[in-house]
Amino acid sequence: MTISAERPEVVEAMVPPAIVEPRKGRRGGEWLSQHVGTATICGFLGYLLGHWLGNYIGSAYPYIANSGQNALAALLALMFMVLGWLLGIGALNYPLAKLVGREAKGDVEYSGWTRYFRYNLDHKVVGIQYVVGVLLFFFTGGLLAMAIRTELLNPTVHVFSADTYIKIVSEHGTIMMMMASSVIVGPLGNYFVPLMIGSRRMAFPRIEAFSLWTFIAGYFVIFSALAYGGFPTGWTGYAPLQTQAGPGMVSYLFGFAVISIGMMTAGFNLAVTIINYRAPGMTWSRVPVFVWSIIATAALLTLASPVLAAAGLFGLLDRTAQTAFYVTEHGGSSYLWQNLFWFFGHPEVYIMALPGFGIVGEIIPVFCRKPLFAYRIAAAGMIGVALLSFFVWQHHLFQSGINPDMRPLFMLTTELISIPTGFIFLVGMGTLYKAKIRYEVPMLFCMAVYFNFLIGGISGVFLSDVPVNVTVHGGFFVLSHFHYTIMGGLIFAFFAGLYFWLPKMTGRAMNKKMGLWHFWTMFVFFNLTFFPMFIIGLLGQPRRVFTYAKNLQTLNEFSSIAAFCLGASFLIFVANLMWSQFIAPEKAPSNPWDSLGLEWQTATPIPYYNFERIPVIMTDPYHYSEIGAPTLADFGDAQPAYPSSSVATSTDPDQ
Amino acid sequence: MTDMTKSSRGVIDTPEEVEFELRAHIGAIWSGGRLFIGMYTFLLASLAFSYFYLRSSNNGLLWRPDHVTAPTAYGWSIYSLTLLAALMAIFGQARLRKGSVSEWQTAIWVGVVAALLALFLQIYEFTAVPFYPGSSGYASTFIGYSVINIFTIFIVAYWLETTVARSLRMDKDLGVAKSQLSMHPSAQSFRANVASMTYFLGFVALASTLLFAMFYLL
Repeated sequence: MTISAERPEVVEAMVPPAIVEPRKGRRGGEWLSQHVGTATICGFLGYLLGHWLGNYIGSAYPYIANSGQNALAALLALMFMVLGWLLGIGALNYPLAKLVGREAKGDVEYSGWTRYFRYNLDHKVVGIQYVVGVLLFFFTGGLLAMAIRTELLNPTVHVFSADTYIKIVSEHGTIMMMMASSVIVGPLGNYFVPLMIGSRRMAFPRIEAFSLWTFIAGYFVIFSALAYGGFPTGWTGYAPLQTQAGPGMVSYLFGFAVISIGMMTAGFNLAVTIINYRAPGMTWSRVPVFVWSIIATAALLTLASPVLAAAGLFGLLDRTAQTAFYVTEHGGSSYLWQNLFWFFGHPEVYIMALPGFGIVGEIIPVFCRKPLFAYRIAAAGMIGVALLSFFVWQHHLFQSGINPDMRPLFMLTTELISIPTGFIFLVGMGTLYKAKIRYEVPMLFCMAVYFNFLIGGISGVFLSDVPVNVTVHGGFFVLSHFHYTIMGGLIFAFFAGLYFWLPKMTGRAMNKKMGLWHFWTMFVFFNLTFFPMFIIGLLGQPRRVFTYAKNLQTLNEFSSIAAFCLGASFLIFVANLMWSQFIAPEKAPSNPWDSLGLEWQTATPIPYYNFERIPVIMTDPYHYSEIGAPTLADFGDAQPAYPSSSVATSTDPDQ
Repeated sequence: MTDMTKSSRGVIDTPEEVEFELRAHIGAIWSGGRLFIGMYTFLLASLAFSYFYLRSSNNGLLWRPDHVTAPTAYGWSIYSLTLLAALMAIFGQARLRKGSVSEWQTAIWVGVVAALLALFLQIYEFTAVPFYPGSSGYASTFIGYSVINIFTIFIVAYWLETTVARSLRMDKDLGVAKSQLSMHPSAQSFRANVASMTYFLGFVALASTLLFAMFYLL
């Protein structure tokens, strides 16, 4: 903006716009301020208020009063619950203060463990809060998975009714997909992106915290579906089943809308941060590959999530305002939901996959002591996947009666996307080629990602072909395919990232022996659980049905027992986490893996402002084993905690 | 400006660091504003897709029966007021560039009032549409459009109001008149915010025109 008028002189014109370390909270005042407790109380009160309001309004409409179901009351209850939750945690303090022109001042922060229960603006605290949040989602969804496999132990002796079973399946799928959309972006993206780009802060710390607390609110909303009797649609929520379902469907639709707001804001903040807050010298060709994956994901989150929000809104209007968006008999169309849902839903697959690739790309050079092979191809592959992911959604409608002439086009675009995905995969293979690999726990998880994703990816190429799709659609083959890509790729990558970065996040090392037990049990039982499902699917067992042909019982029993063992493997992780971080903590070395990454160059524990001096980046962080490799960054008069020059040529940290 | 006061950690930032932080902050507002428009485009595109999808499907010949007519008087009023708010923001920014803070403030206040009136009318129209919401595809998408428009106008009113409130407080906080035009970091941040807001309102004007044509004229 150009200013042609005479500018008034302001004395404080050169006040440094530095990051403000927070004002310390008054001792003993922790419980009088806003925290999770106040959020819970406000959320509960909001729920009651909304429910009362919904009943009050609903009583004026005979079709609601006589139906025995008041979706409006359910919706308003959940809306006010989320609003109360956000109000109680303090998310609305700043937006309300802005109405009278107040700008942000140094926020009151509390030290110690209580800060993890508050609306905190430090991206590192938010990252840890996200870790707890996604694990909450993950273990809830995991318990539901155990229930599913228990039911499938026997085709004739039932633990649950058919109705209860489909509701458990639906809740499991929805919770897991919500979790998976944020499992890496939330915890590791928020924590490490500023550190990796040499920034002292996020661009919009309040939006970052808002995304977290909205994500947590989404958990409560979707979990409330069980209290409302569940929903019978699976995680895809297809109409007309959606319009026929009970009030639990409101939780599903509103839950997805809430989560989509969390996803949008998280992606928005991360994208803006990466674009603007990269340290001097951090050109796009020096950005760590994990950051590339996050910006590609952020673009998808920002642009695809609004479509999900709109789809959810239309579904909610169908249930409360009696519109007919998805009711074919009244001028709507059940296919409209499928189009909107999958326009979000397929980019969602890459929202989940890309950060996993980013983590793996970041970790394997460290343990191979080799530069990342074809770095630019990896970055281009991620952007390519992100772009193409908007043009493939119709392959989910191959069976839904789309114009048959459209099928080849979407078959082609779906197959095309395997090309950039293949680039990313080959970048990993190129890095592994002839490397002297250190098989530490994070590296093992990375290797597992490649193994699992190879199976998931290749079965995906088959599924993109119309004839195969027609044959196996709606069966266990598809189920196995997406568990191999999402759990086998994303969740393994998440654990790789956790084992790799937890020593930096907490300053405490994870127990290696327990880590190895966790890895091997998870890897073996994951494959024993899901590989038989390819066979089960090819033999014709449909998804979401609680019974099956007698001849499939052995395979199902095998898969169920393996699934229970898989579930138990996560208990090893929990035990390791508790043991290493709380019961018998051991101080981690400042750079236990000898990584060149910028995030390892700052002190542990990481100071509030991340870097004492904003670093000037000199090169990319992948010059492993290179004699005379340039120094990663100039830290000015502040010395790096672990100089990159000392690790660049190191091949074995134990020597 | 968010979090931009003197460092409290006992380390004096170098001028280069100060400049870097400021540039990053201004850039974040600029690119954040544009990205927000991108997000909003996809939201509105979902509505437009639904409109044309149901229109072309015309299931049961129930896209738009004869008795389903939009209340055009309300539509014109809401559209005009939204457009007025956007034009006031654009006009105001031009005046601010010329150095006239008071004219900018007046324009924005007019915009706030116009947006609040539009919001009131849109809510009223939503509660009093002259057709049953589920009577046709058009009726359904019209209700969806109303809800999204309520949300859009609310954002417009909020952004306008908070920006003008901030400018009023700025003089007091910085202790000089026309502080909005100074080189103080807060003032630079403020102007970047005004630019992003104006850009968004320009987008809203364009989108409102297209949606108005779809729902009231076609």
